[in-house]
Amino acid sequence: MKRKRLVIVDGIRTPFTRMGTDLARLQTDELGRIAVQALLTRTGIDPARIDEVIIGCVGQPAEAANIARVISLRAGIPESVPAVTVHRNCASGIESLTHAYEKMAADQGDVFVVGGVENMSLTPLLFKHETAAKFGRLAKTRSLGQKLQAMLAFRPADFQPRIGLKLGLTDPFCGMNMGETAELLAREFDITREKQDAFAIDSHRRALEARDRLAGEICPVYLGGSSPRVVKEDNGPRSDQTPEVLARLKPVFDRQNGTVTAANASQITDGAVALLVMTEEKAGELGLVPLGILTGYTHAGCDPRRMGLGPVFAMDRAEKRLGLSPEQADVVEINEAFAAQVLAVLAALRSDPFARQHLGRDRYLAKIPRERLNVNGGAIALGHPVGASGARLILTSLRELARRQAKRALVSLCVGGGQGSAVWLERP
Amino acid sequence: MTMMTIVETPVQGRRPKAGLDERSKGSDPAGEARIQRSVTEDQICILTFDRPGSQANLFDRDTLEELIRHLDEVNADPRLNGLVLISAKPAIFIAGADIKALASGATPQDVSKLIALGQSAFNRLNDLPIPTVAAIHGACVGGGYEVCLACDYRMASPDKSTKIGLPETLLGILPGWGGATRLPRLIGIPKALDIILAGKTLPAAAAKKRGMVDVLVPKEYLLEAACGKIHTAGKSLKRRKSSLSLLLMNSAPAARLAAYKARTQLMEKTRGHYPAVFKALEVVTRGIHRSMGQSLLMEREAVTALSQTPACHNLIQLFFMQEQAKKLGSKEAAHLPKVGNIAVIGAGVMGAGIAQWAASRGIHVLLRDINEEAVARGLGQASKLFRDAAKRRILTPVEARAGMDRIAPSASEVPLGNIDIVIEAAVERMDLKQKIFARLDELAGPDTILATNTSALSITEIARATKRPGQVVGVHFFNPVHRMQLVEVVRGEDTDALVVDRAVKFVQQLGKLPVVVADRPGFLVNRILMPYLIEAGNLFERGASVEDIDEAMLDFGMPMGPLRLIDEVGVDVAQHVAHTLAHAFGERLHIPAVLGNLTEAGHLGRKSGQGFYMHAKRAGKPQVAPGLNALQIQQDVANLDREALQQRMTLLIINEAARCLEESVVTTPADVDFGMVMGTGFAPFRGGPLRLADTLGLAKVVERMQHLQALGETHFEPCALLMERAREGKSFY
Repeated sequence: MKRKRLVIVDGIRTPFTRMGTDLARLQTDELGRIAVQALLTRTGIDPARIDEVIIGCVGQPAEAANIARVISLRAGIPESVPAVTVHRNCASGIESLTHAYEKMAADQGDVFVVGGVENMSLTPLLFKHETAAKFGRLAKTRSLGQKLQAMLAFRPADFQPRIGLKLGLTDPFCGMNMGETAELLAREFDITREKQDAFAIDSHRRALEARDRLAGEICPVYLGGSSPRVVKEDNGPRSDQTPEVLARLKPVFDRQNGTVTAANASQITDGAVALLVMTEEKAGELGLVPLGILTGYTHAGCDPRRMGLGPVFAMDRAEKRLGLSPEQADVVEINEAFAAQVLAVLAALRSDPFARQHLGRDRYLAKIPRERLNVNGGAIALGHPVGASGARLILTSLRELARRQAKRALVSLCVGGGQGSAVWLERP
Repeated sequence: MTMMTIVETPVQGRRPKAGLDERSKGSDPAGEARIQRSVTEDQICILTFDRPGSQANLFDRDTLEELIRHLDEVNADPRLNGLVLISAKPAIFIAGADIKALASGATPQDVSKLIALGQSAFNRLNDLPIPTVAAIHGACVGGGYEVCLACDYRMASPDKSTKIGLPETLLGILPGWGGATRLPRLIGIPKALDIILAGKTLPAAAAKKRGMVDVLVPKEYLLEAACGKIHTAGKSLKRRKSSLSLLLMNSAPAARLAAYKARTQLMEKTRGHYPAVFKALEVVTRGIHRSMGQSLLMEREAVTALSQTPACHNLIQLFFMQEQAKKLGSKEAAHLPKVGNIAVIGAGVMGAGIAQWAASRGIHVLLRDINEEAVARGLGQASKLFRDAAKRRILTPVEARAGMDRIAPSASEVPLGNIDIVIEAAVERMDLKQKIFARLDELAGPDTILATNTSALSITEIARATKRPGQVVGVHFFNPVHRMQLVEVVRGEDTDALVVDRAVKFVQQLGKLPVVVADRPGFLVNRILMPYLIEAGNLFERGASVEDIDEAMLDFGMPMGPLRLIDEVGVDVAQHVAHTLAHAFGERLHIPAVLGNLTEAGHLGRKSGQGFYMHAKRAGKPQVAPGLNALQIQQDVANLDREALQQRMTLLIINEAARCLEESVVTTPADVDFGMVMGTGFAPFRGGPLRLADTLGLAKVVERMQHLQALGETHFEPCALLMERAREGKSFY
């Protein structure tokens, strides 16, 4: 029996906007609703045809548990359609697509809405457990005396919050912050501050040049309130990034000897992406012309302290399974968590010793030319709303394939916790 | 009849176990019983209202007599511990008195007898020695609530369908089965007046807050809770004392003060046109200091007298017309599925208003305009309407957000294959609309109805730009959409009958009132309104003051004077519509220059802050704009008094209304009157322009018009139908 293939029919995303700016006050489920509703409007798909909604989200808000279900209902998809939230950290957006494929393969449906959402602006501040316990005791008191006594137990330190975002970006297993893992790669692969800054400047330049192209994948976000406003553009890319300007910035994670700065790392950003995917047969039945086909994918594990190398392991595994070398891709996306990390991936890919030592290969895996890599800029310019990024890379690279009339795209991400994901896509 | 009846009755929820008892029987051996009686093991009698073959329970003569027989038997049974009233209907407790009994033709004797019958039934309930509990789920209005007032205790389900109140004054009468007597004694004069004078009907929670019911209980537990209350509280329910604050509120000086304050407000609001509210005020504030019997007698005499007033007849007639509009439509259409998705093309004031209203009724709406800024403005308007609705507790915050979520914005062309009805609300230009419709025709699915919200252009002409003229129909909403109940469904020359039916059904689904009209310029409402507004402008130009013109029509009973209405609509819009109609109807419409002058000066009415009036952002009544005298080019009507002004304007309304009938814009006089009252707020107590003509006498109407015509005012020439009927001594109804 011929294996069923999953196609991506169309996709849409909100603008990606820096933390604390245009979209900061939209609840995460609202962001997701906007993207999914825009997808339904744009494709004209009858929502009752959808078999499941699968959304990636890393920092699910406390008020919207299983946020995929909240988004699905609010976007007007019938109650009878189930929804599941997936979490593979930075690859959650990719996971939503591969999860759909697995559901399709297991005969759990033919039509899926997938995607990712993140509002990093709204990541909460947390109380320490001891403080929470004191609040708990206070809530149980009855008399005024008891209340006073319970209140006296609080100390100033109790009100020092734990910063949710910082916690989320720290690997609980190895104890390293994501930035520290990038610093480690910079040291081991000898990636200088200058190389990182140059890569970052290039990312901004490419994103700015691609502005008109990217506009085609963006749905406007309408902000209500007393004076209605439309947000139409990504606000991350900057035209004022020069080597001199960037050189002045202090390293964030290693103040003394570090090389990773705010400017050569991905931006912290809010945004949502939605894709309509279905079996090839279904698309034909509905008369829809797909944007692309999912050729294959792998998720791979690696050393959490060097999580940035995840894409190398994922691409390696994909080559062994699918027989596709990264060099066969017309367009390659390696998510720009950090400039140092992307450059380390490129170095590892073209290194014979690395291939021998870590990949069980005699020689290097691939040399990826910069002209094919992150051609429309990356997360350093556009931002990295963690749950959404993977889905954006799929959408952006498929649209780029169509523009170039090219054949194959390879999308990859490094994943906090020591994983990598790689997805091979092709134009129908 | 045995207990089996009870078991089979579709009352939701757990019933206390009832033993078989020979006393459990309907007491109407001949006809079908409307009330079932049963007795529980605890010796609690349950009266279940269940009118056969109907969704509603009503109080008509037979039901009241049946209730009396039951109550007499209950009274005679010493074993009983209590009585519960409950309904077997899914969404109605008791929907009040059967209004038909009051429709014109009922003599004062008939009315008085019916009132006496109800009062005596409810007095029997009131006087029972055992505790009585009303278990309310569903609509509980008018007589339905008055029977509850005669109980010792009231429980209500917090369900959406539960609505409690006394709307009698809206029908030109007052609560005459003890409502005007018992409600102030229960909750105090001020709150009782608030309900009775405004004819308010409230959701269960609001009724509980005002003390109109004692407790809220989910419908599933109602009966159990009612029996439980009797079991635990027993006879103490009969000895409920009035609180000190209630005694103070109902004291003689407080009553006088409340009466004085309310009367002043009522005069201002009604200009003395609604006798029922003044009567109700009198009965409530005076009856409270008399015995129950005397107060009830006041009620009875008041209702009897009011039932003979034209206002009462007209208001009741309107009530029936509304009920009819809710049921309008063919049998085939009754089985069509409900509309789930619509698209609104154009996010202006009307488009956004329609989108918001439809979304608030659970319909998914695609709101489309040509650029993001226009869409943003439309969404902003919709979101403000939802916020306001949440602020005024019409919607919960969750409902408001869900409503807003249902509006999907789009500033680019998107597929419309899943859309049931497309409503175009773009700029009023034929070439543009035809272009839009030609494109909609290509984008929409084969069954999609293409509707236009045009207020002036020909549906037939628009339809012919498509390959499906049979599926094109007018669905004309009025501004502001969320407040205006009427929607004109316009049948183009090629429109399929079933498409008209589907449009009517859609309007009903929106909770609006449809009137089907022919595709004639201005359709029904704007057409009748325009000559009136034009005359107001001409009278102004000929020397009458803005105050006199508007006050004359406020005195007549209009909700707003004509010049103020022009300001609200927009002077430029009024001018545009006037020109369109003048183009169609020729000489008899002479458009005053003042409209053009104001438009040119940028004084467009409320939207620009100035027109005939100055419109301050947040002030109350707007002041007349300064410097208008310069626009008065003549002084020949400067000396006319308000009565004369009023007469001129109303005659033109009547004449145009008659023309609509003459030209078959609608089929019946009732359609004309209904459209005008619902679409423009035309003085409801007058019943509509054609009813007014009947009241005045057609001969007299024609005579007055011909008098003015003879003076050289040719636009007062009565239409042929009016002259013919007057000559034959006929009336419209």
